[in-house]
Amino acid sequence: MTRHKSRAMFGAGALAVAGVLVLSGCGGSGFDDSEGSTTEGLTSSEDGLTILIAASGDAEATAVEDTVAAWSEESGVEATVEVASDLNQQLAQGFAAGSPPDLFYLSSDAIAGYADNGSLTAYGDELSNKDDFYPALVENFTYDDEFYCAPKDFSTLGLVINTDLWEAAGLTDADVPTTWDELSDVSETLTTDGQVGLAFGAEYQRVGAFMAQAGGALVDGDTVVADSPENVEALEYVKENLDAGTFAYAADIGAGWGGEAFGQGLAAMVIEGNWIGGAMTADYPDVNYQVAELPAGPSGEGTLQYTNCWGMAADSPNQQASLELVEYLTAADQQLAFSEAFGPMPSVQSAADAWTEANPEDAAFLAGADYAQFLPTQAGTADVVADFNAQLESLATGDPAAILQSVQSNLEASVG
Amino acid sequence: MSEVIPAQATVRQVDPARSSTPRRRPRRLAAGQTLLYAMLISLAIVYIFPFLVQVATSFKTDAEAASSALSLVPQTTTFAAYEALFGRSDYPIWFMNSAIVTVCVTLGRVFFVSLAGYALARLDFRGRGVIFAFVVGVMAVPAVVLLIPKFLVLNQIGMYDSYAGMILPLLVDAAGVFIMKNFFESIPVSVEEQARIDGAGTFRVFWSIVLPMARPALITIIILSFQGSWNELSHFIVSTQSPELTTLTKGVASLASGQLSQGTQYPLKLAAAAIMTIPVAVLFFIFQKRIMNNTEGAVKG
Amino acid sequence: MPNTVTARRAGSRKSSGIRRGEVAAGWLFTAPVILILGLFLLVPVLMAIWVSVSDWQGRGSPFSGNVGFVGLDNYAAVTSGGGLAERNFGLSIRNNAWYVLIVVPLQTALSLFLAVLVNRAILRGRGLFRTAFYFPSVTSSVAITILWLFLFSTTGVVNSFLGWFGVEGPNWFNDPSQIFHNALATIGITGAPEALTSGGPLGVSWFEWIGGPSVAMFAFMLMAIFTTSGTFMLLFIAALQNVGAELGEAGVMDGATGWQRFRYITLPQLRPTLFTVLTLGLIGCWQVFEQIYTGTQGGPAKTTLTPAYLSYQSAFVSQEWGEGSAIAFILFLIIIAFTVFQRWVLRERPVSKRRARQYEVPPHEATPHEITETKR
Repeated sequence: MTRHKSRAMFGAGALAVAGVLVLSGCGGSGFDDSEGSTTEGLTSSEDGLTILIAASGDAEATAVEDTVAAWSEESGVEATVEVASDLNQQLAQGFAAGSPPDLFYLSSDAIAGYADNGSLTAYGDELSNKDDFYPALVENFTYDDEFYCAPKDFSTLGLVINTDLWEAAGLTDADVPTTWDELSDVSETLTTDGQVGLAFGAEYQRVGAFMAQAGGALVDGDTVVADSPENVEALEYVKENLDAGTFAYAADIGAGWGGEAFGQGLAAMVIEGNWIGGAMTADYPDVNYQVAELPAGPSGEGTLQYTNCWGMAADSPNQQASLELVEYLTAADQQLAFSEAFGPMPSVQSAADAWTEANPEDAAFLAGADYAQFLPTQAGTADVVADFNAQLESLATGDPAAILQSVQSNLEASVG
Repeated sequence: MSEVIPAQATVRQVDPARSSTPRRRPRRLAAGQTLLYAMLISLAIVYIFPFLVQVATSFKTDAEAASSALSLVPQTTTFAAYEALFGRSDYPIWFMNSAIVTVCVTLGRVFFVSLAGYALARLDFRGRGVIFAFVVGVMAVPAVVLLIPKFLVLNQIGMYDSYAGMILPLLVDAAGVFIMKNFFESIPVSVEEQARIDGAGTFRVFWSIVLPMARPALITIIILSFQGSWNELSHFIVSTQSPELTTLTKGVASLASGQLSQGTQYPLKLAAAAIMTIPVAVLFFIFQKRIMNNTEGAVKG
Repeated sequence: MPNTVTARRAGSRKSSGIRRGEVAAGWLFTAPVILILGLFLLVPVLMAIWVSVSDWQGRGSPFSGNVGFVGLDNYAAVTSGGGLAERNFGLSIRNNAWYVLIVVPLQTALSLFLAVLVNRAILRGRGLFRTAFYFPSVTSSVAITILWLFLFSTTGVVNSFLGWFGVEGPNWFNDPSQIFHNALATIGITGAPEALTSGGPLGVSWFEWIGGPSVAMFAFMLMAIFTTSGTFMLLFIAALQNVGAELGEAGVMDGATGWQRFRYITLPQLRPTLFTVLTLGLIGCWQVFEQIYTGTQGGPAKTTLTPAYLSYQSAFVSQEWGEGSAIAFILFLIIIAFTVFQRWVLRERPVSKRRARQYEVPPHEATPHEITETKR
């Protein structure tokens, strides 16, 4: 009998709850129709902050969480760090729902889209340490002449070499490749059964370095130059080596990314950025390696540069506090601490000397900053690059010129 | 059970042995049966082996998972995957959320669905035909088409990213209304008529007389909604964003796509998948017979 | 007493007091169902129809003043735009069409085969085998996908097994090559005439259309067959048990072989079930989403992109809400077409008197939802 009673109560309760929710739901509105203000001052309130990050690993998550907690204590503003499982999806859903995080990692290719629909606040000019950022990074986060967000750090691609495998193959420091031909040669030497010479991800974010070395790019200013002969030459070089089996995509040798292929000894060399350091320390502490600059191509040196910024939501009720937090997070000391914890290079010039001193073995990454290219930032280009990546996966059997031709027309549709 | 599935009665009457090879030819039968069992056993191995490998691999090291995938006994047994799941990840939270949602959805669904099924089967009221047509109509809407729409509505009414938004849309299931309606139509009306004459109200008749008789059908609904909501993924993708509202399906899917982890980490992922399978597996083995019969019933009506 | 009841239910008894009570109770009892189905099924569909013809960009309310009506632009963009959106949609249709074309016949044949085998086993073993074959169907698609990613990884179970026979298995989920192209390559054909490689519907060349599913998609197909065959097997077992035993015995007397008995006596009687399984498969196979979300996100090289996943991705990742909704509705039309087709054919089928008496509702009504909901 008691069981019946409690069921009855539950039933009636559930019905009532459903009714109330439905009624209140119909009356309320989950949307905030106010336009994001990009020119007026920042919002300010007593609200706590939510910070959404996409961590490369536990090291990064812990470092950011600890730092934010320290700031929170100092400033008295509550702040919670959330580690996204899928940053893009969570951001998009948050913006559409009108409840985005206050601060979040934002990649340069995502700015245009979110800026266009008013999701972002351009706060760059309010930063007290604005002039300390590398000008190239500031340019990367400037859209429609507005400096949107503070670069949180940056990385470049380098050639990461497993020194044990290198020596075992009879190679010396003098053999570190500086040209494409030398790269092909050492890759061949390092390729054995169950191990390729060079591995990298099947994506423009890696293969694009070869295009830069050939003198190519996807976009030059506002002109699309994806189908240039330079790019074709680069892809043909990569294709040739993929066919020869001396280069391989990480996925094709059973690894999730270059760092894993490298750590497991599936590849003797990989093209990766500074982030590989944290992963090697955490997952493969026994692998000895060194970092060299990427070899020069027909048109000289070239690499790609990556940077995320601290994006700020237009819907955030406490942007003033967010701004202060960003200044705290991007201060030279703080960035040096981050760098030590998980590898990226500080985005402010005042930290450069201290960083070089602390990371002599990573000098090649910083050297790359002098000639690094950025990914295109125009609206819609992220989808084109995703499509390009999909085609790069079958580069070994594909036609480089045809692939680039399709990238050209897709880019023209979004950039033009 | 035979009441839920009218055809069941006829199924039971047919002795299945009679429809197989007759007893008259013992020798051919023996040879045939050996071949039959050989095929059945090898097929059963194909179906079950993956799950055995899954459990075994969850106790292996990452390296061993990659080097000897086929072995069913780990060379070095490690609980690292389980320690990582329960010690250093949100897995317990995901599990709890899945449990909360599943329990609420199952209880709510049993109540609402039987209430509506009873009304459609027994009560005589204007609009009944329209309501029934509506229920039949929405059953045709495929779930994947509702991804964007559900997000839009939850968002518009302010239920996005809340337990309410996760649970309410799952509370009612048109197919369940259907099953209950069919069931109530199959039981004799005389009992409730007597209660009515004694002066009991409609809800009372439903609650104290009809519902207790409906146990078999209710168990069917419980099984369907437990399995359905425990395994639900797409609805949770579009109804939540907070980590504290992540369910098992959504959390484990994010593990699988590698966004939270570095490298392949198969033991960890397989352990996560194995644990999330346990509740439905237990339910399956408890109600095994009923589940089998239900599915048979599903096609019968 | 039963007579009065029947009369009342037919609506001929005019007892206003009770009837008024029943109207109130009837609506009250069905109110939660109507409200919830209306709010979370009907209203959403209407809202999404609006979004699919608007230029809403995913911020603020889609009903606010600055969201414009763009007619069928979003539909045009994915079906004839000539851009990336059209090609993505074309690829997703190609991938899913092959999926349907291969999975539906195979899962039907396998489940029928399993049902026949299990049905012939003596009673005791039967339950055991039925359980083994059905078990994959109760697990969630997330868990099964993870298991599949492992089984089909480079050094996984499948490739280790193939290794016993000296076969070097592909890197399944990372292999974008289309299986028919691979088959052609083994006989030395690696290219195609210009007529096939240039031009084709939806921005996808004819050569790509006819290349079949990619190796990665093929692995997903095997998974679908693995997980659905158990459910469909149960349907076939039920049907087999209804097949008149006398007919089978008559066949034996005539000296018919096992295969002949099956082909000419059993199979014709299974036709209704066979047809149900085929159409359920058709409907379910167009809704491939959770496996892709969990496993490959459309990769490698977009060869596991499906319309359902593309719709999700366009809206929630690329912020193209209009295009995403448009794709969802095109998919809706495809599925509705199959559903209507199923109902139409089943209605044409003569229903035996015994069955007709047993059900007030046509038997197929309850099934599509249940099964498509549990597993694809």
